[in-house]
Amino acid sequence: MKMRKFVALAAVASMLIGSLAGCSGATDESAANGGAVGDDAIQNLIAATDGTVSLTVWASEEDQAYTQGLINDFIAAYPDVTFDIQLGSESESTCKDTVLTDIEAAADVFAFADDQIQALVDAGALQPVSAYYTYDVVAENSAGAVEAASVDGQLYAYPMTADNGYFMFYDSSIYTEEDVQSLDSMIAAAEASGTKIGMDLSSGWYLYSFFAGAGLTLTLNEDGTTNTCTFNAEGGTDVAQAIIDYFGTGVLVNMTDDEQATAIANGEISACVNGTWRAETAQEAWGDNYAAAKLPTYNLAGTQTQMSSFSGCKLVGVNAYSDQIGWAMLLAEYLTNEQAQIGRFNERGLGPSNIAAAASPEVQANPAIAALAAQADYATPQRVGGNYWAPAQTLGEILASGNPDNVDLQTLLDTAVEGIEAPVV
Amino acid sequence: MENAIKRNDNFYLKEEKLRSKKKTELVSTVVINVLIAIFALIWIIPIVWLLVTAFSKYTGIDTMHFFPAQGWTLNNFKVVLFEPDSVCQYVAWFKNTFVIAIFSCLISTTFVLMVSYAFSCMRFKGRQTMMKFSIILNMFPGVLSMIAVYFVMKQLGLTNSHVGMVIVYSAGSGLGYLICKGFMDTIPTTIREAARLDGASEAQIFFKIILPLSKPIIVYTVISAFLAPWADFVFAKLMLNSGISSDWTVAIGLYNMLGKDLKSHYFSIFCAGGLLISIPISVLFLLMQKYYVEGVTGGASKG
Amino acid sequence: MASNKEVHASSIGEAFEMFFKNIKNYFADFGKALSKGDIAVKLSTVLMGAGYFARKKFIVGLLTMLMEAAFIFMCIFYAAPNLAKFGTLGDTVRSTQFDPLTMQNTVIEGDNSFLILLNSVIVLFLFVVFILLWIHNIKRAYELQQDYEKGVHINTFVEDVKSLFNGRFNVTLLALPTVGIVLMNIIPILILIAVAFTNYDQQHMPPSALFTWVGLANFKNIINLSSGSSAFGYAFFKVLGWTLVWAFFSTFTCFLGGIVMAKLITYRKVKFPKFWRTLFVVTIAVPQFVTLLLVRYFFGDTGIVNSFCASIGITDFLKSIGLVASHLSYIPFLTHPGWAKFMIIMINIWVGVPYQMLIATGVLLNIPESQIESAKLDGANTWQIFWHITMPYVLFVEGPTLITDFVRNINNFNVIYLLTQDTFVTTNQTLANANAKEVDLLVTWLFRLTNDYYNYKMASVIGIIVFVICAVFSLIAFSRFLANGREESYQ
Repeated sequence: MKMRKFVALAAVASMLIGSLAGCSGATDESAANGGAVGDDAIQNLIAATDGTVSLTVWASEEDQAYTQGLINDFIAAYPDVTFDIQLGSESESTCKDTVLTDIEAAADVFAFADDQIQALVDAGALQPVSAYYTYDVVAENSAGAVEAASVDGQLYAYPMTADNGYFMFYDSSIYTEEDVQSLDSMIAAAEASGTKIGMDLSSGWYLYSFFAGAGLTLTLNEDGTTNTCTFNAEGGTDVAQAIIDYFGTGVLVNMTDDEQATAIANGEISACVNGTWRAETAQEAWGDNYAAAKLPTYNLAGTQTQMSSFSGCKLVGVNAYSDQIGWAMLLAEYLTNEQAQIGRFNERGLGPSNIAAAASPEVQANPAIAALAAQADYATPQRVGGNYWAPAQTLGEILASGNPDNVDLQTLLDTAVEGIEAPVV
Repeated sequence: MENAIKRNDNFYLKEEKLRSKKKTELVSTVVINVLIAIFALIWIIPIVWLLVTAFSKYTGIDTMHFFPAQGWTLNNFKVVLFEPDSVCQYVAWFKNTFVIAIFSCLISTTFVLMVSYAFSCMRFKGRQTMMKFSIILNMFPGVLSMIAVYFVMKQLGLTNSHVGMVIVYSAGSGLGYLICKGFMDTIPTTIREAARLDGASEAQIFFKIILPLSKPIIVYTVISAFLAPWADFVFAKLMLNSGISSDWTVAIGLYNMLGKDLKSHYFSIFCAGGLLISIPISVLFLLMQKYYVEGVTGGASKG
Repeated sequence: MASNKEVHASSIGEAFEMFFKNIKNYFADFGKALSKGDIAVKLSTVLMGAGYFARKKFIVGLLTMLMEAAFIFMCIFYAAPNLAKFGTLGDTVRSTQFDPLTMQNTVIEGDNSFLILLNSVIVLFLFVVFILLWIHNIKRAYELQQDYEKGVHINTFVEDVKSLFNGRFNVTLLALPTVGIVLMNIIPILILIAVAFTNYDQQHMPPSALFTWVGLANFKNIINLSSGSSAFGYAFFKVLGWTLVWAFFSTFTCFLGGIVMAKLITYRKVKFPKFWRTLFVVTIAVPQFVTLLLVRYFFGDTGIVNSFCASIGITDFLKSIGLVASHLSYIPFLTHPGWAKFMIIMINIWVGVPYQMLIATGVLLNIPESQIESAKLDGANTWQIFWHITMPYVLFVEGPTLITDFVRNINNFNVIYLLTQDTFVTTNQTLANANAKEVDLLVTWLFRLTNDYYNYKMASVIGIIVFVICAVFSLIAFSRFLANGREESYQ
């Protein structure tokens, strides 16, 4: 099976083992740096395993069939071992909630969106990926994905997809490629056609695009829980005003993801800021006119400014409390290796984080993934403390509704930032 | 109906001068019937929406049309009943919920009857204190102590098990004795005293006299205990956290269908599933509404 | 043995007085037993069951002794290790070392603060139970001694068992339900109370991290009204206010609505009353979570009601009279605080009225006909009859249910959660900073704090406050409705 590809790697690895074995003190360090250890360790593991290996895997509802196929292949790849692998469904976007409620009861291997990695690491739920066995996780995945899977330089998870960011979907019968370069020309085109553009501004995730585009920052402090945010710094009010103006046109409208889904289907909106999970809906509605692009520029106090975004990956993590760490790690690798990612793209249209898989012509030809790639230059990985979301959601809601109480914009931003930066009580 | 008319006739025969009033009478009859029809319409609209959406070809939430615009289909029911996928395991959920409901209903009913008899028909030291204490405890919503319950059950190794669910639903049921006790309070003491004079023990009185007389309230208790597991999604979601969807109950399963990523594909299936559990529950409820009223208004209506 | 007489307390003050008197008597009896008891009674303090043996009650004695042994066993193997760490709630953090060659973790197990807390609470509870049993054992031994001295017949084991089905049948009846209640209600509530005095939150989350006691810090946090970094005080009073307003309106609108609806349906001019009633009852039968979720989408910002209102001009009309902000193209049924509160109460009427109607119909049928007839003869009109005869009667009958409903509504998780979760976004930054929303009840806020933010310590504080509020309401209500011999009057 696929392990053949790594014979060379394994050879390197066994030399590595030799050097490691001599000096046990150095083991963790070089391993922590991401050394690849090969087949020997797997043989050790197989030899040390007796009885049934019971594992639980959580994947999202949509990913069940595909993941089950991979699990079956995995079981077949180790004929000498008896497995009992249960596949459960747990949405990647809420995986953290279930895991943190009771880590010990959570699955051995679970898929989650990279924004949750900080909380999972803080809670000690993730087994650090200090060694890998069947492929080189760091070298084979894009640098952005590896960064998304790491906390403080330590790799904690296996990148599975690199498509969890957002960009612009549009109907090319209404917008030209020229139009989608700037929000102003998009709004003009949408207005001309009598349709609207959807964006979920009542969400800190999307709100970030305007502020970060203007060079304002949101960073996670070293404590791993609180934020430093400069949305209220100089220029912040201009961003706020720009948002109010855009949403005040009534053409750019604030709607949640599922409202957008309906609005796409019934033709109310002809473009939206959204992610790959809406590709199918958009493609169905717009057919051959379905297109995607990086986010446009927007008018920030007279200057056209490129909107930023959060990049996002889906990751597979191994539960630090698993009884079968070794097998869980091998399975996690199996679920995220090049073949698995190619298959996942073919079957589900999810963009690979694996460099080789992403380079394939089919992947390159996919509009949504190409748009993501173009947006990647302006995207930052999502490292945000929990206190960002509620205040940012509220800020977005206020701005999108045109600041109904006419609060001074600076005050509005100051209050929001106060909440975002607040210590966790 | 019949009686009401007869009564009215009698009433009006007594007062003869009503000829001219007949016209206004007719108008007010029409008005009041229209009024109640409007109310009924308000109450039934969401139910009708549930009904028609369950037969809709469009799987998401149609925000423009009340009646399915893309046509009608039985496919949602087919998916629900015969084509389980990883999201929709309706038949398995139904079985799970049914089994959990049966057992928790048995235990709950037994507990409620036991506690009610003790509090209603026996007098012992500390009875008043215990009653007050249980009333207060019963006011305490489960949501508040959910996490603690979860870990208690985990210590007992009963999470992710249907036995655990049965315990969660039924163990504390003794606290809900109030309505049942109210009913038993209305059974005349003389009956029990006569039995006691005949040499019957308390246990014999309980089984042979009070239980047969409490049929309405037993029906009420049984049905309401049976219905609880069908509606709870908070505890079930917490306790059955293995992610294996075939282990879930109907409520978690349906609730899950409206998750962020799923509802555009599963909304109409959710409606079909919701409709299917509503049918047996409706029947049960219509059957027991008489007892329900009798139970709640209990002693007072006879007093 | 126990006197079968009950004294009814007529006020809460008296109830407390009686309560303390009972406690005093309890310990006085115990003291008397200790001082006046013979050797067997005194031996019972160390060797439980000795008093039974002395009176030839071997089986009961043996069982008591076994229980003591089990207790000592429990102390050594379960209580001691947990209680030893109860003061600090643990000091060792779990650490692991991964060996890339064997692919295994070497684990140094740490302490789990929560399990220590949980087990300690259980142990302390068992201690209390044991002490009560111990006192009972001594008192009983003294009673037996007295019976023996007076030459009263002492029950054999068989007779004891028989009495469990006769005189002491209540013990048999209450045993299992009590165990269940202890497990499901009492222990969790005690744990909840304990957590309120710790710093159990996302930064201190077992099993990977420890938490510890912080005294009253969390309570100070919640009554601290200065906004500053902690918005909890502000949010708490806002949420509490809405909780009470909601509980009041939801209870009374449904109650009145139920009566009106029942009156309407049973009104003599109404055709097909049975049909209408069945129609309303059917709406009860669809599980709440189905209807509420459905209604939420029904009234969504882009939902079908909004499409309808926009197309027939209601939206524009509401805009023109200022009820809907001018920049909106929809009616914010469940997304604007004012609208949402109004709609929630309205939807709750939809949910609750059919229940109340059912009950009210039953009650109304039982109104003594004679009273109404005589009022009519006195020239009272329909309204007067309704307010002066029907309502007082209904209030009398439904009084206890009404109070129960009020408390239930304080904790009405389903309606608020299902209607507003994921859709309602607060625009009040201070509330948002405390993870609260305008439409939150204390329970839903608490649920969000635990479920999404793992802020167990603050959730516990709120939980305790909710508990106190509910307990006060129900105590007042039931000392009125129950203790005043109401139950006896019907027997």
